Amino acid sequence: MKQCFFSQNNIKYVDYKDIELLKKFINPHARIQGKKKTSVKARSQRQLAEAIKRARYMALLPFVAR
Amino acid sequence: MSKKEKVAKISGEKIYEVGYHIVSSVAEENIPAEVEKIKSYLAKEKAVIISEEAPKLRPLAYSIKKAFGGSYKTFDKAYFGFIKFTLGEDADVRTIDSAMKNNESVLRYIIIKTVKENTMYSPKITVFSDKDAKIKTFKVEKAEIDIKPASVEEIDKSIDALVADEVI
Repeated sequence: MKQCFFSQNNIKYVDYKDIELLKKFINPHARIQGKKKTSVKARSQRQLAEAIKRARYMALLPFVAR
Repeated sequence: MSKKEKVAKISGEKIYEVGYHIVSSVAEENIPAEVEKIKSYLAKEKAVIISEEAPKLRPLAYSIKKAFGGSYKTFDKAYFGFIKFTLGEDADVRTIDSAMKNNESVLRYIIIKTVKENTMYSPKITVFSDKDAKIKTFKVEKAEIDIKPASVEEIDKSIDALVADEVI
């Protein structure tokens, strides 16, 4: 079974500016991947969703793509 | 128990971060003045700056419109920078928020609560240019922290990777 990416790398706070990291968790349409797909622990998944939404607001990530 | 935790959170300093886009119509040499302006808002609230990154021109993921005296201007790129700071108990972050709102040259901004530690996982902000990377490494040297082992070759490598990405 796949392990949580954030636990493995000891990431306690997901930053909205870390675009390269966030890009791993969005699909080609720029939608946030679900927890089943990301295999991220629940807390990190919530932080991740928040960070991606902040990045979208700041135009660092697109709302929609393609 | 939960009550105690709440009290502990309210008292003591709060850590915030303001991220901002400065409109691309501002000339590059006037950017430091704009940053000073933002810092003056923080100084009014007696904020202590933890870390910051100088604004750098980057393309936006989507174009943003901003009204200038009755007409809209559309921007496809902007100078993105951020400042992390702490506020004392009696300071109010809302005054900073309204000051940022009234700043004509700020295209968009966000104020978030954050933590003191470095929260960036990626070795480098790959969306920025290599010029910026140099500035960042200088900062790390000054402020120690555990990113130090990132050698020049590694940084060069990640820059190369970034350039390749952008071409695609």
